[in-house]
Formats: sequence, C-alpha cells, structure tokens
Amino acid sequence: MMQGNIYSMRETFGRLLADLGDKNKDLIVITADVGDSTRALYFREKFKDRYFNIGISEQDMVNFAAGLAAVGKKPAIVNFGMFLMRAWEQIRNSIARMNLDVKMFVTHTGYSDHGDGSSHQVLEDIALMRVLPNMKVIVPADPKDIERSLPVIINEERGPLYYRIGREYSPPITVGQEYEFKIGKAYVIKDGSDLAIIGAGVVLWDALKAAEELEKLGISVAVINLFSIKPIDESTIEYYARKTGKIITIEEHSIYGGIGSAVAEVTARRYPVPIRFVGATTFGRSARSQRDLLDYYNINYKTIIRETIDLLK
Amino acid sequence: MGIDIVPMEKGGGSDGTPISIEELDKLRQVAEKARRNVIKMLFYDQTIHVGSSLSSIEILTTLIFKHIRTDSSLVNKDWLILSKGHAAPALYAVLAEKGYIKEEELWRIQDITGLLQGHPETFIPGVDMSTGSLGQGLSFGIGVATGIKMANGSGRVYVIMGDGEQDEGEIWEAMTHAVVRNLDNLIAFIEMNNFQLDGSTEEIKPKNFLPKVWEAVGWKVLNCDGHDFISITNAINEAHKAGKPVVIFAKTVRGKGFPAIENTHKQRSSPDDARKYLLNA
Repeated sequence: MMQGNIYSMRETFGRLLADLGDKNKDLIVITADVGDSTRALYFREKFKDRYFNIGISEQDMVNFAAGLAAVGKKPAIVNFGMFLMRAWEQIRNSIARMNLDVKMFVTHTGYSDHGDGSSHQVLEDIALMRVLPNMKVIVPADPKDIERSLPVIINEERGPLYYRIGREYSPPITVGQEYEFKIGKAYVIKDGSDLAIIGAGVVLWDALKAAEELEKLGISVAVINLFSIKPIDESTIEYYARKTGKIITIEEHSIYGGIGSAVAEVTARRYPVPIRFVGATTFGRSARSQRDLLDYYNINYKTIIRETIDLLK
Repeated sequence: MGIDIVPMEKGGGSDGTPISIEELDKLRQVAEKARRNVIKMLFYDQTIHVGSSLSSIEILTTLIFKHIRTDSSLVNKDWLILSKGHAAPALYAVLAEKGYIKEEELWRIQDITGLLQGHPETFIPGVDMSTGSLGQGLSFGIGVATGIKMANGSGRVYVIMGDGEQDEGEIWEAMTHAVVRNLDNLIAFIEMNNFQLDGSTEEIKPKNFLPKVWEAVGWKVLNCDGHDFISITNAINEAHKAGKPVVIFAKTVRGKGFPAIENTHKQRSSPDDARKYLLNA
C-alpha cells in the first residue's frame, strides 16, 4: 500500500477524509483517475460503495457530482486542481448556478507538482473560483490547518466550496497556534505594527520567516493567514490596513485575480494603503523541488524583505 | 372503443395499443396547445428558439403527461432533464398545460419582470436541472440515477438531448460512464432533426454513425418517431424493460408544424408568421 508521510498535505487530507466517512453516511468521494495521487484511495479502502473513480473525465465528474447532490448526497470531488479547471464551465453552470452542495478538494496546486512542470501547476484556480457566485474558497496553510478545517467543512458546511492544497511540501506554519476554523475568518499568526503580510497556503512559511528577519532590523511585522479567501474577512484586513498602513500579499498563485487582488479589493473600498504583490506572473516549469520553484520565481521571504524595505523608504 | 379500464398512469388501450384513444386525444390536445403557445410567444419575444422547441413538443408532452411520476421524495420521483435547454419554450408550454406554470407567465418569457428564463432554471416550477450549456444533462442524469440507486429509490431519469449537442466531448465521457454504473433507470433521448445552429448536421458534422457508437459502448439503442405519441410510448415502455441504460433516437423535424421555418436550421420567426399560423391552424 501507499507509503504515507504524515506531514504531507495530501496525506493528512486523505486520511482525515476517510475518517470523516464514518459519521457522514451520505459522503461520496469522486475522482477522475487520480485516487492514488490525491490520497482519495484511503476513502475507497473503507467505503468502496461510496467511492467512484469515473475515469479521466473531469467534465462528466463535475456534472455527476452535481446530480448526486441534487438527490441529497454529499459528493466530494477529489482531483488535481489543474485538471478540474478543465471543467470550470460545468462548475459554473451546474454546481454554482444551482447552488448545489458539492465540495471540491484539489491537490497538486501551485508549484507542488514540481516535476511535472507547467502543464500540471495550477496558478489561476483561486481567481477562477472566487469569481463564481455561491462559491466558497478555502486555502489551508499546513496539515494542522487541514485538521482544523476539514471536519467543519464536511460536517457543517453546505453549498459549493473549493478547497486548495498542495502535495508533499508542508513546512509547519500554524502548529502551536490556538484557533478554530470558521468560514470567512482570517487569523493573525503573528502580530506587528509596521507592516502586514497577508497570504494563504504554504508560502506563509516565507511570510513568518521574513517577519522574523525584519524584526531583527527593528521592523514590527504582522502575518495574517487568509484561510478563507471567499468569503473574505474584511474587518481583519481593514483593521491591519489602518494599524500598519502597508500591506504585502503573498500567494502561490498568479497575482492577477488571486489573493493579492482579493485583499486589494477590500482595502480599496475600506481603507486604501500601499500594497505590494508577491506571487506568480507567468507559467511555472519543472524542478526537483517545490522550494526550488518558489525561490526561482521569487515567491519567498527574500522578496518580502526587499519589498518591505522599499515600502518603508 | 369501449371503456378504458386501465389507470392513466399505467396507460394502454383495451385493444392492446400502448395508449388508449382517450389518452391519445388528450396528448394531441396538449401538444397542439403547447405548439400554438410556443408560436404565440413570438408575439412577445422574437429571440426564443422556436425551431428546436417545436422539435421537442411531442416527446415532452408524452413524458410529462404519461410517464413522469411525481413524488415528494427526491429518489422516488422521476426526473426530467432538458439537456437541450434552448427548447425551454416547449418545456414551459407543456408545464403550463400541466398546471406548473400559469399561462400568462408564458407571455412574459425572457422579460425582465418574468419568471421564465431563456433557458431552464431550477427556480421555475417543474424544472429539475438548470441547463443551457450543451452536453451537461446526461452526466447530471447519471449522478441523479446513481443517487437514486444508492438510496434504493424507484425514480427514473429522462434526459433529452439534441443531435447537434452530440458534438460535445462530455457526451462521450457520460456515455461511457453510464454503462459502468449499470443504470437501468436512465433513459436518454436524442432528437435527430438533422440541424444544428449554423446549418445541417450533414454539412457541419455528420451524426448518422451515432446509434452504432452508443450500441458498441453498451447502451440499449431504440428508435422512435419523435412526433408520434404511440411510437414514443412504445419506445419508453421497451426502455423500462431493458435492464440497462437506454438511448432512444427520436426522428424529429425542426420547426415541426410551423411552415415558416419547418425543417430548416432557422430558430426564429416573425410575429406576422405567428399570426398567420394561429389564424390558419
């Protein structure tokens, strides 16, 4: 059987999803032939009759899930983020338009599928999902965030939801933090007063690292985990815009339409401040590790430090 | 013809035909009224897809008035999915005859103050799936039919598609999926009217090979005259006995019964043509 790494994003997700199947008898897991890679197979090991690998057919998968939701089941699509985007129009016209209770859990997002290269590295999905009416968008930072949020989402949340995780790379970010997941809530994982770094996902490790380095220079930096991209925590963003007057956003995603854009939409309306956007601006490429790619594309703590010093000039 | 002792839901005449004369008269009346009402909609809105709607009238009438069973349970009711959502005017007109939609609502189709959208939405009474983007109804139907099976429900799922719609790649995905699920409660119609939006299917993308493809994949393939109530009902009755997913290729005519556009790729016509039809027919 699969050799599991308990610190991996997909591993944590796959194990927990299978556990949640005990209590949720209507939970159905659907994948398009990536059950092994996404760790959806753990669910199959326990609940064979509630697991469907429908073949390499993403469009059919989305409408199939929509149909199951329409008769009262709780379908969870588990797939690579990139290839689910192939069915964006089905997500838009069936799941979102009918406001159906379909959850989409996607792995291999950002640069996490480092070896496969740009065809597999989805850097546009947050933009494509958050634009949809009725859709919620959740991005956990690390395995601990998955443990906090997945039970709430499966047990309590209703309606279309997009949940974005990577693959193996998962530096500890929120371990030791005391908070409970709530839809629409951002979490301050480090407080500060000169600048706020707002982001989501594994790149928050770089945000914390940058904050630590900047403290050494006497700059007080807050780091905010924007766990829930949509709905977005407007009050926390406004509070830190007022408190620090400067924001840097970081995301393992295109800066066009992604997390930085979402934050800027809030500050533009509620309290405009200068913002610098750290994230992707073009397609990825192959590399031996996700870390190599983050450094190669300057989505790292070094860029945050450089931008901060520039902002503070 | 004697007294029809078979309950309406079961159908069938005492002489062995699948529909009693009384029932056949009723279906004819409903379809004729629905056809007139679709054409009458042209007085109020000239952008509705009249041609495709008139291709579907008899199939929708037969399903809604003879075969679709209603139930308060989602898994014991029958589902009707108009995958070719642009035939919405026909669906609305037949649903109005069944009492789901008020007739005056038909004249406000696509109006900003109206209930009826250009394509079906689930907030409209009697609509089971929001459609309008082609190729999605069959996959949704497989989801519904699978959910019904998992809950041991008795519901059946009817999906109506067009021949132009068969160009969509998702149809292939769904066609090959349904046979894996062994869905004996899924019945798909494909209306073969030989036209798609820009012209004839023959010049754009031929469809004549389709029955062979569906059969090779593992579907039970049936044929019917999509404007003949007895032929449609015979096909549906046979489909219920198939024990696997069934596709019914229904020969239909675009713009059926409306001379201004009949058997052409034209979807639309003028209020003048509608007036002529309504006065003469």
